[in-house]
Amino acid sequence: MATSGQRTFKRNAHINYFLRCLGALPASAEGHDSNRITIAYFCLSGLDLLGALEKKTTEEQRKGWVEWIWSLQAPEGGFRGSTYMTTSNPETSPGHLPSTYTALLCLAILRAPLDRLNRPGLKAFLRRCQAPDGSFSPLPRTSSSHTTDFQSDLRMTYCAVVIADILKDVSAFDRSSCISFMNQCRTWEGAYASRAGVTEAQGGTTYCAVASLSLLQPDTPNREDTIRWSTQRQLGGFQGRPGKLQDVCYSFWIGAALGILGQPDLLDSTLNTAFLLSAQSPLGGFGKEPDDYPDPYHSYLALAALALTPDPDLDLKPLDARWNISRDTADWLREEIREQSLDT
Amino acid sequence: TSSYIPLSDRGQWAGITPIPQNDGPNPLVAIMYSPEYRDAMDFFRAVSASGEKSERALELTETIIRMNPAHYTVWQYRMAILLELGKDLEVELELMNEFARENLKSYQVWHHRLLLMTHISPASPQAEIDYIHTSLLPDPKNYHTWAYLHWLFSHFHTLGRITPKMWQEEQRWCDEMLRVDGRNNSAWGWRWFLTIARPEAGGLADQGRGEIIYTLKQIHTIPHNVSAWNYLRGLLKHFSHPFSPILPALHPYLAHPDLKSLIPSPPSSSLSNLPAARDPLPGDTPLPISHAVEFLADTLVEMGRLGDAGLIFAKLGELDRMRAGYWEYRRRACAD
Repeated sequence: MATSGQRTFKRNAHINYFLRCLGALPASAEGHDSNRITIAYFCLSGLDLLGALEKKTTEEQRKGWVEWIWSLQAPEGGFRGSTYMTTSNPETSPGHLPSTYTALLCLAILRAPLDRLNRPGLKAFLRRCQAPDGSFSPLPRTSSSHTTDFQSDLRMTYCAVVIADILKDVSAFDRSSCISFMNQCRTWEGAYASRAGVTEAQGGTTYCAVASLSLLQPDTPNREDTIRWSTQRQLGGFQGRPGKLQDVCYSFWIGAALGILGQPDLLDSTLNTAFLLSAQSPLGGFGKEPDDYPDPYHSYLALAALALTPDPDLDLKPLDARWNISRDTADWLREEIREQSLDT
Repeated sequence: TSSYIPLSDRGQWAGITPIPQNDGPNPLVAIMYSPEYRDAMDFFRAVSASGEKSERALELTETIIRMNPAHYTVWQYRMAILLELGKDLEVELELMNEFARENLKSYQVWHHRLLLMTHISPASPQAEIDYIHTSLLPDPKNYHTWAYLHWLFSHFHTLGRITPKMWQEEQRWCDEMLRVDGRNNSAWGWRWFLTIARPEAGGLADQGRGEIIYTLKQIHTIPHNVSAWNYLRGLLKHFSHPFSPILPALHPYLAHPDLKSLIPSPPSSSLSNLPAARDPLPGDTPLPISHAVEFLADTLVEMGRLGDAGLIFAKLGELDRMRAGYWEYRRRACAD
């Protein structure tokens, strides 16, 4: 078993945890019914980082899963989060922006040829999700949509920007209003809040802004304040905001933000890794903090955080911090999109 | 579970054919639904496909969101039914209060509240403001709650329904939140909104001096309060105000033999009557305070004394070891 410092990395337990979740979740997970594809992404990308996907799943299994994911593609473009609302009436189940992001990544992790991807539909879907203020809604906007959607925050922006980056299509949405919205999310603290005008920055939305801005423009303005705020969040592990407790997911959100801002080594790696490893569950997976019950979200993000810095003891694949998948998978996806473009 | 009566056995659902979920032969992350959830969803799929907007459909949406408060499709459909049937939205708002009491939380509950308030559009949102204030008491840092409060004031201000008195009351309420917990970063953020960022904010008139004084007092109350230090820096940056006139008020936090020779003498532009630190300092205040040392370093950078600033950043690497990487980064930037 690999060790890092004093703690043992429970590699096999994590592999088995993700495999179990991919198979089935109990009734207590009904709250995830609308976004099973996102849970699948956490598990598949986790297995990918662990280098266990090909060894621990069969080609037949992977092909079967790929078919399930294609069944989520909505006729007008984008992907649904699961089959929960699919009926013969297409209006019951439109595409969903975050699910589209995770569905694309799942297809890439499973190395599914993307010949069935409805690219014009996806592009139109992105445009329909964007509001006049530059933000994105999780669902395509209708004429009766209010201009304010509480859920139209930087997480949605991040999903849209990454999808457009994957498609290598700068015209998929209005870039300047998107950047303008993100700049309005910047707070007095030098980091980013969830929506324009909200006055408290948070680790997750800061990552979303930093990653998105890095994909849309060559230089990130005012990066020094963001770097300062980010390093200030380390308590050992990382907290999401001043005065809050550390949570493994912030090791990713903030660790990745620092990397994208060009300063991956400013954090104390020893303390960060120690905290992450101490949050491992004996059942496999990671909870948000030590002794907490594991869940797929924290399990994946803890691994992604560990994958940000190469560590031979952990033997995790290097991560593409902007798309949040292994670099192997990102390279494959870039090549596949390029090949599909040449064929059209 | 045997006491559960399937919907198809209940009279009110006669004449509708439920639609089972078609998950295909190889589903990812299959959920072992309870019979109640599976049954309700089979009927909801049918209701949604036919577009039925009825009382029984409304009841069905409540059944489902109680089992899965994150089910955004059902929330959206529920809203459509409420509007179609002309239901009393104040009653629906009270139902949301009940959901909160039962700890049924999700983004969707907040979004639903936002839509209800938009439709109800009361002449005064005071009752809702009071409700949000109360809901923050057991959970004073809930990010969604504060973001909702921001929406509430912004939206009703646009409608011209926030009076100057209401803004004053909100400022007083925010002051009290900070008095109770000076480390509540969300409350600091709200203070920024009320005093600096919102249209017609009052904190701009005196170039931020009032806010600087308030923040220094907070630092003097809790010298390690990172939110207060960040707020001070935010103010100085926002008003393009130099650090050096503020530094004298922070001298007690720099008490350490290694720092003494590097502290600049107060400039002639020092602000008069800045609140002084407590004497003696509160509780066990271990010195020096790293936030004050960082302030000193940035003051030296501002004064162009990069060599001295570099020495201070080196010192910070010893004082605040967790951030040794960051302090070395700042030190190197001074050396270059």
